[in-house]
Amino acid sequence: MSKAVGIEIAGVNLSYGATHVLKDVDLAVRPGEFFAFLGPSGCGKTTLLRLIAGFAQAQTGQVLLDGRDVAPLPPWKRDVGMVFQSYALWPHMTVAKNVAFGLEERRLPRAEIDRRVAQALDLVGLADLAGRRPAQLSGGQQQRVAVARTIAIEPKVLLLDEPLSNLDAKMRVGVRRELRALQQRLGLTTIFVTHDQEEANTICDRIAVMDAGTIRQVGTPMELYEKPANLFVASFLGSANILGDGHGISVPAGKRLVFRPQHASLSPVDGAALRGPVTHREFLGAAVRYSVRVGDNEILVEAPFQSGGELRAVGDRVGVALPPERMLYLPA
Amino acid sequence: MVRLSALATGFTLGLIFAAGAAFAQTGKVTVVTSFSKDVTDPLKKAFEKAVPGATLEVQNRNTNAGVKFLEETRGNNQVDLFWASAPDAFEVLKGKKLLSPYKPKATGIAEKVGSYPVNDKDGFYSGFAASGYGIMWNERYVKANKLPTPKEWQDLAAAPYFDHVSISAPSRSGTTHLTIETILQGEGWDKGWRTIKEISGNLRQVTDRSFGVPEAVNSGQVGYGIVIDFFAFSSQGAGFPVKFVYPTVTTLVPANVGIVANAPNKAGAEAFIEFLLSPTGQEALLEPTIRRLPVRPETYAKAPADYPNPFKDKNLQGLLTFNAELSESRSAAVDTLYDQLITFQLEPLKAATRALHEVDAALAKKDNPRARALAKEARDLIASMPITAAQAASPEIRAAFSGGKEKSARQAELEQQWAAFAKEKYAAAKAKADEALKLAR
Amino acid sequence: MALAGTRSIGQAALALAIALFLSVFLVMPVATVIYVAFTEKGGGALTLVNFQDFARTDLFVRSFWNSIYVSAMTVVWASALALPLAYLTTRFEFRGAMLVQTLGFLPLVMPPFVGAVAMQLLFGRNGSVNLLLDEWFDFKIGFMEGLNGVIFLQAIHYFPFILVNLSAALRNIDRSMEEAAQNLGSHGLRLFRRIALPLALPGYIAGASLVFVKVFDDVATPLLLNVKEMLAPQAYLRITSIGIDDPMGYVISVVLIGVAVATMWASALVLKGKDYATTQRGGGGLARRKLKPRESFLAYAVVILILALVLAPHVGLLLLSFATVWSFSPLPDGYTLAHYARVLGDSSIYIKNTLLYSSLAAGIDVAIGGAIAYLVLRTKLPGRQWLDWAASTALAVPGVVLGIGYLRAFYGVKMPDGTPLAALWIVIVLAIAIRRLPYALRAAYAALQQISVSLEEAAENLGATKARTVRRIVIPLMTGGLLAGFVTSFATAAVELSAVLMLVQSNSDAPLAYGLYVLMQTPAGRGAGAALGVIAVVIVAICMGLAQLAADRSQRARGLDI
Repeated sequence: MSKAVGIEIAGVNLSYGATHVLKDVDLAVRPGEFFAFLGPSGCGKTTLLRLIAGFAQAQTGQVLLDGRDVAPLPPWKRDVGMVFQSYALWPHMTVAKNVAFGLEERRLPRAEIDRRVAQALDLVGLADLAGRRPAQLSGGQQQRVAVARTIAIEPKVLLLDEPLSNLDAKMRVGVRRELRALQQRLGLTTIFVTHDQEEANTICDRIAVMDAGTIRQVGTPMELYEKPANLFVASFLGSANILGDGHGISVPAGKRLVFRPQHASLSPVDGAALRGPVTHREFLGAAVRYSVRVGDNEILVEAPFQSGGELRAVGDRVGVALPPERMLYLPA
Repeated sequence: MVRLSALATGFTLGLIFAAGAAFAQTGKVTVVTSFSKDVTDPLKKAFEKAVPGATLEVQNRNTNAGVKFLEETRGNNQVDLFWASAPDAFEVLKGKKLLSPYKPKATGIAEKVGSYPVNDKDGFYSGFAASGYGIMWNERYVKANKLPTPKEWQDLAAAPYFDHVSISAPSRSGTTHLTIETILQGEGWDKGWRTIKEISGNLRQVTDRSFGVPEAVNSGQVGYGIVIDFFAFSSQGAGFPVKFVYPTVTTLVPANVGIVANAPNKAGAEAFIEFLLSPTGQEALLEPTIRRLPVRPETYAKAPADYPNPFKDKNLQGLLTFNAELSESRSAAVDTLYDQLITFQLEPLKAATRALHEVDAALAKKDNPRARALAKEARDLIASMPITAAQAASPEIRAAFSGGKEKSARQAELEQQWAAFAKEKYAAAKAKADEALKLAR
Repeated sequence: MALAGTRSIGQAALALAIALFLSVFLVMPVATVIYVAFTEKGGGALTLVNFQDFARTDLFVRSFWNSIYVSAMTVVWASALALPLAYLTTRFEFRGAMLVQTLGFLPLVMPPFVGAVAMQLLFGRNGSVNLLLDEWFDFKIGFMEGLNGVIFLQAIHYFPFILVNLSAALRNIDRSMEEAAQNLGSHGLRLFRRIALPLALPGYIAGASLVFVKVFDDVATPLLLNVKEMLAPQAYLRITSIGIDDPMGYVISVVLIGVAVATMWASALVLKGKDYATTQRGGGGLARRKLKPRESFLAYAVVILILALVLAPHVGLLLLSFATVWSFSPLPDGYTLAHYARVLGDSSIYIKNTLLYSSLAAGIDVAIGGAIAYLVLRTKLPGRQWLDWAASTALAVPGVVLGIGYLRAFYGVKMPDGTPLAALWIVIVLAIAIRRLPYALRAAYAALQQISVSLEEAAENLGATKARTVRRIVIPLMTGGLLAGFVTSFATAAVELSAVLMLVQSNSDAPLAYGLYVLMQTPAGRGAGAALGVIAVVIVAICMGLAQLAADRSQRARGLDI
């Protein structure tokens, strides 16, 4: 397998008519990295992926693959493997034919094609379904054919457009592990587009969080969780309490206080900076989640659950304690 | 132009054989014709037999399309002959310099058939046969609707015929045009139009193809049709329950043939014309599927009994001398007048006519002089014309149709004026007729 | 961007080639004819006064509104005929669905002249139906009277356009769409109106706009009913009247073309953003619903009734072809085989020519229609929409205008041996191809719209160039749709008359329609014409059946639902 390559995106702006879809996007994906574009729908993540594959054209900026500007290359010369959200399997071809397609386009010798088709199908565990048609496969099998078809051409990078969205929840967990394992085995630079933070967190090395056409933050899942750079990232990944000034803790002008529910704990009312009545109590198993009304905010607090431990009832007035090192002040 | 009909058949036969020998290498002769296969096939066979070495290539086109075709292809003409009924089509071709003059050598051809001169006075085309106009009707239709049997044109204007008559538009059918023109020349402009409008008030439909009329009568969709005789006779031949009558005053219209300018095979074209006029060619016209009236008087001797003979039968002689120049000078105006006053105003015209029929019926039961006067006024309104005979042939009006400089108005403006005129008069006539009906009841 | 430039050289070349073809064989010949509309009569100076005259002439204004009325009402009635057939045969288990679909197409294949005669004999003022009504109940129905008669005949004649397009669209709706609606409490007609119909709207609009334009521009049917106060007949009558060089005929032609383009443009506007292309149909998603016995009975009754009505012209034609004399009676006086004996002898040349011309023309149409659809839907070439519009105007160009245009443009061009270019039979093929191009184009459009772009992107992503993607992905997936376009073009080309009549130069090059024309000029030829018409319909039906069979085979072989 060829050496993994890096992807650089510099100063990209892309509009469809009056809609500004990508705004000043800068990004570097390292060779061999499993990278995610994470964001709500409409944030531009799929467009960015299609830009790399050559299906969209930016008005300004560059896309560099292995240091080379790919702008002059049409999609079929980019060697950028893409798995489509719909899989886009051709209904008039068998599984094997689908997988062989890219190799045939590269005019490889027949024997080589057969070998690589078998190899790719083996890799995804579908060797015995080579003669089937896409319509005769289950959703998970279709997805794996789509992956096999893409990796068969040994692309420089692999692009996955919400590849798990058409699968049921149980299957997703298995398939995403398979994808991760496959990526590790091939050492392929991979970009994964998703709106599901759990998916991104569990399999990706690094994540770019996108919102409204801009990249809000890039980092490892843990960095993003621990040190969100802005309120959007803080609230999009996991739950976060966000407070302005005037609730007992002073917050600098133009900033907000941010902390995670599990970093807070309930304390006696007296002496607590934040206080108020418990409005909800939810049992989560490992923890108990309380909602505490502080001023006009509902603050979530997750307390570890120990059997026999003391529980607060709805209506109890409580204080909320915060370790200072867990308090983040982010721009409003 | 004077031909001695006394000249013997043998002489012409000899001539044709001589021609046959002379044109032994005639090869392919191409004709554009509006005649149906029934007509062209027997004549083609006879011609190819009479002139060895010649083949007749027949292109069937209706008259209008044929004229257009010659016009559009004049730069690289491949057609030798134009062969059709309507003399006005030949006049148009002549005017556009698409015909080349030829004086047939054949002798013994009549100078006139009925009242119509057989040949073009300038020698651009020759008549080879004639046909008479008359009234055709479907016997089953007439019987089922308990309708009378017509004898004269004027009969068709009577009340029982209302909504049962069909005609083809003179602008679409050269032969209908001649019929209209004959009536106009025979009765004069104003009286002629009155007659035409009275008949037209009873029309069921105005077709755009000549053949549409016999077709409608044959299938029983209309009762009566104003048609050229061979349509009726060939319908009878095909077994349809139809009858035909020549009115006392009928029009005989010639069928013509002319050589196209720059014909690729002029010799062949001439041979075909000579063949058509030869006794053999003329006798071929008597065949049941063709059934045209020969222009060679002695041919009638070989015709079956009761075959119409325009040289003997009184009603086919024609009461007037047809003035071809007058006809030509106003042909566009007459056609357009018919279309604008009748074809496209048929509903208002029929409404007024129907009301007048009702008035007549009421008056027949109980006379009322005031109602009678009103009905007459209504009839005068219907009969009134937007232009006079002199205007119709005037340079101003002619230029409107030809695009000449003298025009006082564009054709479209004239049409709109005439249509508006007719609409107004017919509405007024209907109002008067309705008033008369109230009085008469 | 440089990228866009390099990538579209091939597309641009294709677009230019098509543009050239359309200019030479459509735009230029037509322009040589209709430029008259913009010139002053006699003078030749450029002017718009003729269009003012058009607007000031009551007859033309009346004709214009009559045409609009007739076209709109025809769409309504044609929809009423097509909807039940399309819905019942595509969404339910319906035995004989194939047969219904095939028979439902036949009305389009109505030979000129004879078809109208047959309809007069059945539905005319003294046709079979009215004679019987008159005898039994003492009244008659004016099926064929005036504008309503035109609507009646046109609805029967053109409803297959809606049937074909709507059926194709309905077939592509995933069953889950309807099931979801049923689950939410919708059923019966409401289910159809709220779910199936909107989803099938693109197909319906495509068919309906085609019907509207065809009816607006049709000459033959109104004239055969002696209805002249419509726009297309007015143009025809004026253009073909001899001796009068009247620009108004060409002015009306320009108006006809304008209305056709506007209609196509409006339908495109309506369909904007309603592209319901399904990426891929899920396994077994297209199962059809079952009808309850009572529903089933009702459904068959409706289908048979509609088929009886729309196939009446063919029944009439068949009767006429065996009739001795049929005049003012419910049925012919007697029956004979003589008409067939007469035509079989000398018509084989017509049949051979027709098959040759129609298949060549339809082949050209599918190739060009497919290419235009691809360029418009899948590329960003500037001006690509113009190809579509130009090709669609062929719908509205009166056949006689095209015929005259061809003579004008190509008769002067001589072959090495001196015969004019326009005298070659291939010119007839080209004229027919141009006349029928819009049908194939619309079919190609529909077929391409059904293919999700991601299927093509996946191929490009795996290294296939645009051209290779077209060959390996687009064309195979479009086969069914393209074949449908081929059949439509072929079948309707077989009965094309108006342009052909102008261009036929010799009997040996003449197609069937010309043979029919020649026969139908005499009373004795009526039966023979009908016999030839029946032969034409049978041949076209056989060819359609074969094509359908081939299409099904290939679709099944490709693992696609039919």
